[in-house]
Amino acid sequence: MHFLAERTDQENMAGPLKVDYAFDTEDLESSAKIVKFAILKKHQEQDAAQEHELASFEETMLPHMDAAHNLAKWLLRNEEDAQDVVQEAYLRAFKSFGGFHGSNGRAWLLTIVRNTSYTLLKKNKAVDLTTTFDEEIHVSGHDSVSPATTLEHSENAELIREAMDELPADFREILALRHQEGLSYKEIADITQIPPGTVMSRLARARAKLREYLAARIGKE
Amino acid sequence: MNCDEATNLMDGYLDGELDPVTSQTIEQHLRSCRNCEQAYETHRVLVRSIGIAAPYYKAPAELRQRIQSSLREEIAERPMRNVAPDAQPLFPRQQPKPRAVLFGTPWNWLSLSGLSLAAAIIFAAIIFSNLAPQLRRPGADQLLATQLIASHVRSLMANHLTDVASSDQHTVKPWLDAKLDFAPAVADLASEGFPLIGGRLDYLDNRPVAALVYQRRKHFINLFVWPAGSDVAKAAKTITRQGYQLLHWADSDFNYWAVSDVNVNDLQLFKQQFETRTPRH
Repeated sequence: MHFLAERTDQENMAGPLKVDYAFDTEDLESSAKIVKFAILKKHQEQDAAQEHELASFEETMLPHMDAAHNLAKWLLRNEEDAQDVVQEAYLRAFKSFGGFHGSNGRAWLLTIVRNTSYTLLKKNKAVDLTTTFDEEIHVSGHDSVSPATTLEHSENAELIREAMDELPADFREILALRHQEGLSYKEIADITQIPPGTVMSRLARARAKLREYLAARIGKE
Repeated sequence: MNCDEATNLMDGYLDGELDPVTSQTIEQHLRSCRNCEQAYETHRVLVRSIGIAAPYYKAPAELRQRIQSSLREEIAERPMRNVAPDAQPLFPRQQPKPRAVLFGTPWNWLSLSGLSLAAAIIFAAIIFSNLAPQLRRPGADQLLATQLIASHVRSLMANHLTDVASSDQHTVKPWLDAKLDFAPAVADLASEGFPLIGGRLDYLDNRPVAALVYQRRKHFINLFVWPAGSDVAKAAKTITRQGYQLLHWADSDFNYWAVSDVNVNDLQLFKQQFETRTPRH
């Protein structure tokens, strides 16, 4: 730049200019202080704005922590992974909270929890991501146990949990979303990113499979 | 409608997700077909039992702490402070040179005019921000009030009113002392009509705080305590929000926030009794 090039001429220029601009360095220092003070003020304002954003995020999202944890736990079947995923999901949610304008904070958070869980499942190369591979494999004991016997055991929490844990991930999640969160087909479709028309058939298959597994377990006992 | 069609739609029917017309058609079919009716009944009971019997994995208490502190770390690491670097180059560190030389070059002249421009803008900013300090201060208190109410409500909602449930101040105090880096005063005010229920750890205003839980008839009072930022005692002030009363005061050691749905007079009385029973140092 032009003025930089002229720096070498300092001595020549010094003479005339010093007369015209009689500044005191103290002026400079106090200006510096003022600037620093202003920067500090600016920081405080930013901090206050961030605090405010955080408070409103926590108010909206922390009430859904149980739902988030429940879904993650069903998907990952491991407490440590579930907690990591929920924490990660909250961080992601906070980063994109500016873009959240909806009213359904729970569905929004659960979508992020689900995506984060699948990322981890894929990373761990879990083989049960989809149902297609084993639709026909696990069919044992179903016919040997009557529906009435199955029903007798159906309120056995441990049995239900074991049978549900055996299901593929997309069945586990749809059962948790419907039966534990009480979500509508529309909400489930949004969270699991499937067409609304598919929700009913997937739920039906998940329930049928669960019943089958239950019968198999009861048959073994 | 035949049996296959009815079976295919059974789950939607069960979940109440079908349109009214289809729903009615299925209902008619079930009434006329004993097999389908029985199958539906079995399915309905099984499906209901999933909701009842499947374990609901609630989040453990420490997960909340983890999430809240990771969110605060996230804020702290945000590279939002880009105002400073712009201002900095305006101040090349002044060497102790003779004044005449310092201002005697076009280079300095330019930086100086930039400087005065910056100073003018900043003066304007300061004047503005000083004109509106009343707007900002309450903001911080309002924010804290929101946190306090949320914490109070949460403590009543979940089964988490107290970490240490005891009406004995000599049980509650040592418990809190061991968990915190300060030692709040604890007094049982049962004889004054505010029995001590217990104590709890909480996280407010970016720090762990003590929450003392008292009862007033059927109501609970959360008294949040943490070390005061300055040793100036503050007069009591009340805030009313969302039907909750907040009473704030500070002595030379601690900040106090009492939160409850009891009326203001009860809360004032509570403060009075609490102060009487916890002698100042």
